[in-house]
Amino acid sequence: MIRRNGFTDETLEWRSWLEPLQLADASPLQLEVLDESHPQSRTSPYYLTLAHQPLMLRHRSAAYNAIMYAPGGLPRAERELGAMVVSVTNGCVYCTSVHAQRFEQLAKRSDTVEQVFDEPATAGTNERERAIATFAIAVTQRPGALGADDIAPLRAVGMSDEEIIDLLHAVAIFSWANRLMQNLGEPAGAG
Amino acid sequence: MTSPDLPDVIDRAAGLAPGDALHAARRFRAKVVEATQASHDALLTQPVEGLSTADRLRVAVHVCNTAGATTLAKHYEARLRDDAVRDAPPSAALPAMLHFAATLTTDPRRGDRAALEALRHAGLADPAIVALAQLVAFLSYQLRVVAGLQAMRASGAKGTS
Repeated sequence: MIRRNGFTDETLEWRSWLEPLQLADASPLQLEVLDESHPQSRTSPYYLTLAHQPLMLRHRSAAYNAIMYAPGGLPRAERELGAMVVSVTNGCVYCTSVHAQRFEQLAKRSDTVEQVFDEPATAGTNERERAIATFAIAVTQRPGALGADDIAPLRAVGMSDEEIIDLLHAVAIFSWANRLMQNLGEPAGAG
Repeated sequence: MTSPDLPDVIDRAAGLAPGDALHAARRFRAKVVEATQASHDALLTQPVEGLSTADRLRVAVHVCNTAGATTLAKHYEARLRDDAVRDAPPSAALPAMLHFAATLTTDPRRGDRAALEALRHAGLADPAIVALAQLVAFLSYQLRVVAGLQAMRASGAKGTS
C-alpha cells in the first residue's frame, strides 16, 4: 500500500453530490447502458449519476473502453501511466487510486507509482516512462501551446504515430474523467 | 451512420483530410473515432429539459475560447449560426452555466458542491446538470485530442508505416 502526498493506491469509495438514479426507476435503456459501461455500474454512485443521461454515458463508455482496453498499440500499462499522471496533475484522488492499482497489476511493480505520487514531472523508471509522464503533463496543463517539441521525445523513445495517438487518447480522456469525478462528487474513505 | 473514413469534427479542427497519413493513423482506433463523434452528437442534440442545444453551443464556444482552442471554437460558432438554433433565446440559467463551464475547464480542482447548488438554484434539474458536466468534460478531452494531433502534424507525422 502506498500513501504519499494525499494520494493512495488503496480502494476508495465515491459519493455523488447529485441524486444518483434509483435502479427501481431505471428505464430499459438506462439498465442496458449501465451494463455495457462497467461490470459494477448497477451499484456504483458514479455510473448511476451519469445514467441520468444514458446515451451520453453509452458513447462515453464506448470511447473510454476502447481507449483504455483495446488490444495492440501502446502497452496498456503505459496507458494507465498516462491516466495516473493526469489524475495526479489534476488532483483527482479517486481516479489516481484506481489507475495506480491498474498500473501495478499490469506492470507488476509499484516503483513508478511512488514516483508519480511524489512528483509527476520527474517520474519514470526509464526514458520511455519519463517521456510519457512529461507529455501527459503538457497535454493536461497547456493544450493551447502544444507543438512539435512535445512530440519529439515520444518519437525519440521509439513510439509510432499509432502509439502516440493511443497515449494522446488515454491522457485526454482523463481530462474528461477527472472533471466528472471531481465536480459531481467526492472520494469517501477506503472501502 | 456516416462512414468512419469521412472527416469528422476532430479531423476538420486539426486540419486532417482523407489520404493524410495522420488521418489514417487515427483510424487504427476506429472505435474511438466513432464513439468520440457520437459523444459530440449526443451531447449537443439529445433532448434535455432545461438545456437547449443553442445554450450547449454557447457553452462550447465559451469553453473552447477559454482554453485557446481556436479551430474548435469556430466549429461551435458555425453550429450556433445554423438556422435551427440561431434565434433560440438564451436561458436565464446561461450565466450560471458559463461560469460553471469556465471553472471546470480551467481548473478541475475548483469543483465543489456549491457550484452544483448554484446550477440547481438557477433552475437546472440533476439530469440537466449531468448533461452540462458531461459536455464540458467532453470538450476538455476533445480540445486536447485536436491539440495533440495538430502538434503531431507540426512535427511531420509519418503515419502508418
